[in-house]
Amino acid sequence: MASLIHCPHCGVRPSQEFSIRGDASVVRPAPEASDEAWHEYVHIRSNPHGRHREHWQHVAGCRRGLVVERDTFTHDVFSVTDGAAVAREGGR
Amino acid sequence: MTKTYISRHPLEGRIPLEPGIRAVDHLEVPRRQAIVTVMAADGEDTAVAAVLATMSEPSLRCVGPGEWLVVSQSETPEGLQRSLALVLAETAYVLDQSDGRIVLRLSGPNVRRILAKGVAIDLHPSVFGLGAASNLLCGHVNVNLARTGENEFELIVMRSLAESLFDDLRLMGREFDLSADFSG
Ligand SMILES: [Zn+2]
Repeated sequence: MASLIHCPHCGVRPSQEFSIRGDASVVRPAPEASDEAWHEYVHIRSNPHGRHREHWQHVAGCRRGLVVERDTFTHDVFSVTDGAAVAREGGR
Repeated sequence: MTKTYISRHPLEGRIPLEPGIRAVDHLEVPRRQAIVTVMAADGEDTAVAAVLATMSEPSLRCVGPGEWLVVSQSETPEGLQRSLALVLAETAYVLDQSDGRIVLRLSGPNVRRILAKGVAIDLHPSVFGLGAASNLLCGHVNVNLARTGENEFELIVMRSLAESLFDDLRLMGREFDLSADFSG
């Protein structure tokens, strides 16, 4: 696991200060979407070997939800963005 | 039936370590301190920051985007909360935390070396200068750490974790004979 995360609000921090909240690439379906769509969203996850987008929360720091793009194989971190900014970009 | 509640500091019974002895590196524990959380309403971050920056006595501790702890030695918790709620009006949420948080003030020539045993950030003044503050982990305990002087830092910790953090700091400061006592 990547041991240092560059929080956009707090600077470089050890990963122990964060809690990983899971895949950030899945998009919540519409409320009336099919059972299959909800099943996919709630239960089905890929286990990528390489680049991956995840929700991380800086629980021991600014407490903000972040989107971390990292490589699950090399531990390289490509980007860390505030979750609210990502949601605004996605029009959510 | 009326009940009498007595305010008791969680470090009562542990402090002073050795009465009357004050080493060069010292942990000072203020008995009373007004601590208030200020959280900006949606979209009001800069407006609230501007108002808070104009205040002189209470000191400002950054917690995260749009969120601060305001600490005052001289004001009462009620007074500080009231005056902040008045100037910030609808732009922020103001909540008294004085009963739930404890302030520990660490000072002396070796404080950076003491803190480095538990804190994972760079404490050099060019990185973490006077007035800088941040939430972080000290060992396993969540604290708000602030630089209040060249060789002085303040840690604000949840009341229920104060004893734990106090024990950790004692251990971290043992090689420098860290002393500890109440003040105020
Ligand atoms: Zn952060």
